[in-house]
Amino acid sequence: MASPGSRWNRHSGRITSPRLRGDVKNPPSEIHRSSQDDIMDVGLFTQYVMNGLMLGMMYALVAVGFTLFFGVLDVIKFSHGDVLTVGAFAALASFAGLNALGVKSQLVDLVVMLAIATLAMAVLGMLIARYLVMPLRSAPALNTLLITLMLGTVLRESVRLFYPQGANPKPFPALLPRGSVDLGSFNLRLDNVLMLAAGIAVIVSVQFLLNRTKLGLAIRAVAQDQDTARTMGVNFTAIVLVTFAIGSSLAAFAGVMNGLYYNEINFGMGLYLGVIGFSAAIIGGLGSIYGAILGGFLFAGLQTVGTVLLPFASAYKDVFAFAVVIAIMAWRPTGLIREKISERV
Amino acid sequence: MSGFEAMAGREKPHAALWPGLIVLAAATLYLIALLAAENQRLIISLLAAGIAAVIAAAWFRLLDRAGRSFEDREDVLGGFAILAALAVAVVFHEDHFVLLLITTVLLTTVATLGLNIQFGYAGVLNFAGASFFGIGAYTSAVLNAHSALPHLAVLLIGGLLAALIGSLLLLPVLRTRGHYAAVVTIAFALLFKTFLEVNDVLGGPQGLQVPGMKILGWAFNDNMSIGRISLSFYINYFMVSLLLLIGAFILVRRLERSWIGLNLDALRLDETAAGCFGLDIVRWKITAFLIGNFLIGIAGALFGMVGSFVAPNNYTFADSLILVSILLLGGIGNPWGLIVATLIVVIVPEKLQTIQEYRFLLYALLVIGVLLFRPQGLLPRPVRRYFPGWRP
Amino acid sequence: MIRPGKLSAAGLMAAVLAMAVGAAHAKDKVKVGFIGPLTGGVSVNGIGGRNSADLAVKLRNADAKAKYEYELVVLDDECKPNVAVQVATKMAADKDIIAGATHYCSSTAIATVDTYHKFGFPVIVWGAVLPDITYRNKYAEIHRVNGTMINQNDANAELISSLGYKTVAVIHDTTDYGKGHNEYFSKALAKIGKAKIVGTFGVTAEQQDFTAELTQIKSLNPEVIYFGGLTPIGVRIRSQMDKLGIKAVFDGTSGIVSDAFVQGLGPLAEGTLAFREGAPTEKLPGGKFFMEKYNAQKYDNPPEAYGAFAYAAMDMILDTIEKTGPDRKKVIEELGNVKDRDSIVGKITFDDHGQNTVPVITKYVIQDGKFVEWDESEYATGKRKLPGQK
Repeated sequence: MASPGSRWNRHSGRITSPRLRGDVKNPPSEIHRSSQDDIMDVGLFTQYVMNGLMLGMMYALVAVGFTLFFGVLDVIKFSHGDVLTVGAFAALASFAGLNALGVKSQLVDLVVMLAIATLAMAVLGMLIARYLVMPLRSAPALNTLLITLMLGTVLRESVRLFYPQGANPKPFPALLPRGSVDLGSFNLRLDNVLMLAAGIAVIVSVQFLLNRTKLGLAIRAVAQDQDTARTMGVNFTAIVLVTFAIGSSLAAFAGVMNGLYYNEINFGMGLYLGVIGFSAAIIGGLGSIYGAILGGFLFAGLQTVGTVLLPFASAYKDVFAFAVVIAIMAWRPTGLIREKISERV
Repeated sequence: MSGFEAMAGREKPHAALWPGLIVLAAATLYLIALLAAENQRLIISLLAAGIAAVIAAAWFRLLDRAGRSFEDREDVLGGFAILAALAVAVVFHEDHFVLLLITTVLLTTVATLGLNIQFGYAGVLNFAGASFFGIGAYTSAVLNAHSALPHLAVLLIGGLLAALIGSLLLLPVLRTRGHYAAVVTIAFALLFKTFLEVNDVLGGPQGLQVPGMKILGWAFNDNMSIGRISLSFYINYFMVSLLLLIGAFILVRRLERSWIGLNLDALRLDETAAGCFGLDIVRWKITAFLIGNFLIGIAGALFGMVGSFVAPNNYTFADSLILVSILLLGGIGNPWGLIVATLIVVIVPEKLQTIQEYRFLLYALLVIGVLLFRPQGLLPRPVRRYFPGWRP
Repeated sequence: MIRPGKLSAAGLMAAVLAMAVGAAHAKDKVKVGFIGPLTGGVSVNGIGGRNSADLAVKLRNADAKAKYEYELVVLDDECKPNVAVQVATKMAADKDIIAGATHYCSSTAIATVDTYHKFGFPVIVWGAVLPDITYRNKYAEIHRVNGTMINQNDANAELISSLGYKTVAVIHDTTDYGKGHNEYFSKALAKIGKAKIVGTFGVTAEQQDFTAELTQIKSLNPEVIYFGGLTPIGVRIRSQMDKLGIKAVFDGTSGIVSDAFVQGLGPLAEGTLAFREGAPTEKLPGGKFFMEKYNAQKYDNPPEAYGAFAYAAMDMILDTIEKTGPDRKKVIEELGNVKDRDSIVGKITFDDHGQNTVPVITKYVIQDGKFVEWDESEYATGKRKLPGQK
């Protein structure tokens, strides 16, 4: 009585409306489902890998932001995901502005949008740090967590209410070149490759910044030991603001990337990405950049594995991935790359 | 009177009854007026007047006195509060929607009381309050429709199931601290909603209808009339919810004042020191978490029957955040504060239609304000009384 | 001391004036309700419906012969079943609201059926197409002016089969709406027997990422992808189809008949099929009249696909209240006797389940960014071809 391939129609425990299920006759016999034959050809596999890499890149960008904030100020800034949303909308607004000005070149559009989004979010991040996070440094960590959660809600609702028709999903312009190459059953798209390359470049440059520059040295000093860094002459407030600016710009970049990948943005995209980014940062161990990157790709990997295992209800991939996160937390409470905790008793 | 006499138990309550009574009566009348008003301008002026009155009362130290009389004479004032609730129900006996609103307030308060045990007393972070509420609701949906279990038993089972599923999270919750602990419950909250949505057995995104409550043959969903007065059928649910709230409130209060509460407070304030003093941290955390979830589950089961509809969209992470913000607004650890905060959070947006759309935004801003300027909430938790009649 | 004489004269004049003005407005106020998705992905349809209902009320209030003055109470169901139940409870529990025109989304309409019955609140559905809404129970309170999805899926299956396509993959959302489309389309396709369904995929109504399902579908290689769901995920699926290089025909239902679909996809929307019960608004019996009056009010939104039905529903409610007075029970009784009533969408008859029959099914194809009737399109004549069309 079930239509082919749909597992969920077979449940007899359905409580309402048995009529909806009773009358479908079996369609003609030849039901062709390659996944049931358990062979996945190389093309299909590569497609999954590519999807996973793209997702992982976006999660990793968000996770790196979380880790930076935690390292520097010992705070979890939950509004990070929603900063991503605001960044994406800022990019969309600047696109609309550019269109109104008559700019036609896609490259110019893209560059300007990215610039505006990252700069605007850097400023926003600094404001958040200065007025919401730093005053609460002496309060219990719970308060900071809650305030940033609420701030995330404020950002999200503001986009929904104040951006024209913010509640509707908005189409995001496809600004990357659209060429693609067909390798068997795998469709390699140029824009995906470009985005992947750009994401890697950004992460590598953040690493470079942290490890090879004086600014990065100052950030790492503050992250390691705040008081000693201050006695060494590091301007604490400035460093915090700069770190927040960097993290928020990363979020804006991820937001634009997300928009380009899905060709759509909506006001709720940040919540989901924020929680995943946070989980990824946690899995990788807070405070460690490598951990954050690892966590991002790991989470994407979990989702992809979940999709492959349960091809007919891809929404279960989230259930699977979050369940694994909880399990990992039970096994390694401070993440895979252990955080070195010393607590004043 | 000397402290010695106080400790000996031959103390008289210090505070007078009248400040508490006045505040209670004023609040009840205000609530009735607010619920009855329909005109938007009237409502806005009522709200402004209310805020002004509160500020004035604080200025004239009436609130302090009222607070003290609530502390000392809680049992009597509690009785009066029950009368006040009944009075409100009598005034609105025909009005379906107002009764539904009040029942929602009562049940949300029970849920936040459960959350209070976890957060406020034991310091166990739980960002999945709405999910446990949902577990209770879905239990009542499934059991009411498919089994002949008496509905009161269904309530209990709802609570037990919420506690049981909560125990799945125990291991990660116990082993993590701070931010990591937050992640566990947040991940669970998201997981739960997605699970409900993709799962056809439990109705999927379409949700399930919940048959109304029936106790001993008395069907709750039929309208009743006494003589020429017709009563809304929500009165039935109101009574059961009130009873539930009274029970939960007494439980929470007794728990707080008992040695259990003392252990939980010690645990929250400083885990390491508590461990050094020989408190079994694991045991108390588990107790708090499970009892809290049990309460939340019962409230959820009853709410499912009141609303007669459950759907995954009712139990999202955002709803859990609302419960947490009620806790924060009211003052963590203070049950009376919870009642006030729940009233504000549930009733004001319903009445103020113009802000309906903006309500999430306004809650969030309100909580940010509270966290920045008055982190202890509207009615902060008073200092623990170690001896009866003792005053700090 | 104020001079009493002057004051009382002024007072008398004011009183007389007030009475005169008052006498002209002596009509009793009656409240009627409207529920639709005013926010969220399908809000354009909800707002279009609201504007249409508002038009009906405005025109009636401007009519001097009307017995009552009507006030429209509007509530937003956000196309979510739980919100719908809450607002339905709110509207039905308010004894001042006599009747309502409700719901565009089927998922919300089916969830609230019991609520309206519980409170004895008469409603006329204006946009939801799931048959169960009127046929699952025999509730006297529930009526519907637009058709059900059975007929549009019959027409859909017929067109696909007649165009010579053999393999179809089905994507549907997991609400009762999507499931209903899946059921009726599968039945209709099986009955004709020329094409077969190679795979069925259920997706959540807010799903972002369809690469998993679409990758699977790509390996199944169907000629047509049938989509039973609403515009927001329709847009996403179509654009992700393109990203994965899937070149099948995108075959939708009334859920995607909306300008938002075209706006969301731009040139990708070309060649999409869609079906709807009822003639296009301009071709309805009262269509011209409706469009004229609608445009005169200068609303921000067009009436969209179901605006005319919302107008007809509200108009019928107003007619009924004029006849029976503001009494819910009498309205329910009167609505049970509706036979061949004239309206802008044609003659309305409610059968014993409160359902109106809408015989015409319009077949659409998107051509150059507009919904064009199939028979008048260049695809039917062969000037343009759908992917894989023979």
